[in-house]
Amino acid sequence: MNGKKIIKGLLLGSFLAALVLTAAAQKHPRELGPAPELNFKLTKPVMFTLSNGIQCFFMEDKELPLISLRGLIKGGSYYEPADKTGLASLVGQVLRTGGTKTRTGDQINEELEFIAASVESFTNNEYLTVSGSSLKKDFAKLIEIYADILLNPEFRQDKLDLAKNQTYEAMRRRWDQPMQVAMLLFNEKMYGADTPFGRRSTPASVKAIGRDDLISFYRAYSAPNNFTLGITGDLSLNEAKAALEKAFRNWAKKKVTFAEVASPVEKADGTIYYAFKETPQGNVFMGHLGIAQKSPDEYKVEVMNDILGGGSFTARLMKELRSNRGLTYGIYGGVYEGTGKHRGVFQIGSQLKAAKFVEAVETIKSLIKDIQTNPVTDEEMTTSRNSLINSFVFRFEQKSQILAQYMSLKMDGYPDNYLETYIDNIRKVTKADIQAAARQYMNPEKMILIVVGNEKLFDKPLSSLGQVATIDIKALQEAEKIQ
Amino acid sequence: MEYAKKSFIFGCIILFLAVAGAGLLPGQSLEAKVQTRTLKNGMTVLLVERHGAPVFSTIYGFKVGSVDENEGITGTAHLFEHMAFKGTPKIGTSDFEMEKPIMEKVNRIGREWSLELVKGEQADKDKLARLRADLTRLETEQKKYIVKDEIDVIYNNVGGTGLNAGTGTDQTMYIVSLPSNQLERYCLVESERIRNAVLREFYTERSVIQEERKQTTDASPARLLSEMFMGAAFLAHPYKHPVVGWASDINSVTLEEAQAFKSKYYTPNNCVLAIAGDIDPARAWPLIEKYFGDIPRGEDPPVLRTVEPQQLGERRVRFEFDAEPSLMMGYHKPTFPAKEDAAASVLASILTSGRTSRLNKDLVQDRQIAVNVNAAASGGGVRYPNLFTFNASPRFPHTVEEVEKAILDHIEKIKTEPVSERELQKVKNSLEASYIRSMSSNMGLAMMVARYQLLFGDWKLYLKYKDVLAGITAADIMSFAKTYLTAENRTVAFLIKKAKAS
Repeated sequence: MNGKKIIKGLLLGSFLAALVLTAAAQKHPRELGPAPELNFKLTKPVMFTLSNGIQCFFMEDKELPLISLRGLIKGGSYYEPADKTGLASLVGQVLRTGGTKTRTGDQINEELEFIAASVESFTNNEYLTVSGSSLKKDFAKLIEIYADILLNPEFRQDKLDLAKNQTYEAMRRRWDQPMQVAMLLFNEKMYGADTPFGRRSTPASVKAIGRDDLISFYRAYSAPNNFTLGITGDLSLNEAKAALEKAFRNWAKKKVTFAEVASPVEKADGTIYYAFKETPQGNVFMGHLGIAQKSPDEYKVEVMNDILGGGSFTARLMKELRSNRGLTYGIYGGVYEGTGKHRGVFQIGSQLKAAKFVEAVETIKSLIKDIQTNPVTDEEMTTSRNSLINSFVFRFEQKSQILAQYMSLKMDGYPDNYLETYIDNIRKVTKADIQAAARQYMNPEKMILIVVGNEKLFDKPLSSLGQVATIDIKALQEAEKIQ
Repeated sequence: MEYAKKSFIFGCIILFLAVAGAGLLPGQSLEAKVQTRTLKNGMTVLLVERHGAPVFSTIYGFKVGSVDENEGITGTAHLFEHMAFKGTPKIGTSDFEMEKPIMEKVNRIGREWSLELVKGEQADKDKLARLRADLTRLETEQKKYIVKDEIDVIYNNVGGTGLNAGTGTDQTMYIVSLPSNQLERYCLVESERIRNAVLREFYTERSVIQEERKQTTDASPARLLSEMFMGAAFLAHPYKHPVVGWASDINSVTLEEAQAFKSKYYTPNNCVLAIAGDIDPARAWPLIEKYFGDIPRGEDPPVLRTVEPQQLGERRVRFEFDAEPSLMMGYHKPTFPAKEDAAASVLASILTSGRTSRLNKDLVQDRQIAVNVNAAASGGGVRYPNLFTFNASPRFPHTVEEVEKAILDHIEKIKTEPVSERELQKVKNSLEASYIRSMSSNMGLAMMVARYQLLFGDWKLYLKYKDVLAGITAADIMSFAKTYLTAENRTVAFLIKKAKAS
């Protein structure tokens, strides 16, 4: 036995020695000379307005014979009545599947799929998005169907029933994955179940939705003056203008109003919400409210997020919880912007080793406190700043991505030179700024914790972390049973 | 939503088989953009010029995956992939000469500890505790010399994005995208780690992978169902075991086993590199030759001997889990480049691609007995004979049995009635469009040519296969269904919702 071990050890030793020899010729990357200058010019879409007020963004892309469309109507789930939660989502689905005055949904499916084209629509909290794509040779057909869907939707009953049935099934299945459960509960506890931010659809709220509700919701917001359209691909500006004018010529302007949506109020009070699920890890989301868009501190927060909990292994959460301690496969977090004027969340999420769960949560809290108490290191500052500045060019990799980016900035009311000034703004951020932002926007004592898992597997009781409130998932599922 | 993570497991790789459009974009235009060279050590490199933004995307892969593992060391291909991010004698250390002897001790104690650990209940608890404490002490000592995750630091500083890697049943792939002035740095870092990966922090990473398995498999109904299904569908062939590995094997694999596995398969002659984007081949080739060209050639990787015996009867698996029900079924079939494989690809498309496909239309939209249904033509992998598979989830109160029956009825129909010309044409149109769309990103292009080159030996098969696919007839599909989609060649797995937990 012993002999065998020694031989193995020796073999490995000489193997390593051989490796070192061959490596001697290689340099460390820092010994490379300076990289050649990068030749990069910021490219911008062309903006124009159609005669009926549609704001358009255009970028030509002759590389491949493809054309794509991306249109946004402002009017998402924030604006649906509470007792019909799920309405905006159904509008987003059935707008596409429910057909138009002259085509059933099935006919549209057949026409589009035969030419490998697509039109898809969905709603999020603020916008209804309708996207389309086809080969260049089929663009006339694409734009005809795309406009027909926007201008003449029928929301046919059979497809509404289908969408509702699928929604009920999705509700049954939303308790299957522990992290999905944790997310649902996080939104509810963070914002309150009676707000547009924290409520979720139930069988009762969906059952109450009829075809008339979809039609009137869509009518309230669909107007050329409330629609922004991006078009990119293998066509010229003039061709794009002509095609869009023609397709949308019968869409008349009208007044669109939006109900006031009350911004979220901070409710986080340090409570730990524990939901039992028989699953091998401790699944957690923790946090409190974050910042609104266009915060004067957005660049400071962006660099802070990158250093604390960004996607890279250079981020502290990942480095400590995964790379140093092996307590998780991944951990991410930061202070995020909301939509419109509403504050977003400060949030950290991870699936943690159950046998070290409480230890891991305490480590996370101490990492937050550390970035509030001590300046980040010079190396962290340099790496993070370089990373954000040098990877900026990737925001311009695809034409469709450039277009989408400029559309969002414009619709969210950012200044026109936002991207031109981005790099300078990142460069200005100092170590003191990061520490100040960390103090201002994070409070580890106030965070709520949503924990989904089996406390019996944990190293210590959750009560050692603070006040625990229990959530009964089975009861929630039972309450949502379809009658 | 899932986060992006460094290191991921490929699901079944859906081959992107495509037809070039007549007069639209002839295959030659891609051929003109791709330059191929085999370096003198056997490494194949593909360059795809595409001058948009000043960036490029890279992927290199080794023809090694979980199919190359045997029992006891399952998960090693994936584990090694994680270890490849830990550095080299140059990268990731402040003083390798000082670090090396500590690492050798880590290896020895780590092996002893692992071997004791696998004894389970019979393990000597005191010995375990003592070894674990020794290991922790050594790891702490080694940490003094470790420069944490330096590969990430190097790439972050120059604006690299998407640094990642993935392991599948058939292959292991490493990716990153960089600004176009960083080609030399890329060649240096990657040639270093191919040549010379140092497996530091091994036992911590093993713990990360234990958590990865729990997160992505043990807590995931879909992944667990797939694991149960594959384990039943394959009796002998290593496609039967999960890419992430069995928990027991992840808990006991040693650093030396990972190193030995690496040296067998991580050779330049078993590697393909593809770079797509804003690169000038005249400048790129000398850099590639300089950095990758002198990595020593290795032995040819071992040949897999095990052949899956013919299935003699239907196999069924049924297990309970805390989730809504779902099912998976599959049939053994030949793999690429067999004509039957092409027929299977076209059939999968007719059955479940898009809202107008047969199963989507009938099961999901019209009868509404399921909320989703998917067919795939290369379940398991593509290097060896694989499976024609179905995944589906019933809609309450409908059951997995009803959905299974509905799928079987459609299969019977395929055996008795030819598919229509319009259905065939629709598949061809969609393959043509996806071929064009696959060229719209640097990473998409690099992945596509690298996969074909690595798995089948020639990226141009991607183009040539169009003739095979275009030639698939209704009779081919019927004959495929009659031969392979039979009861005795079938495996069915059901995930059933657990009766109320106590």
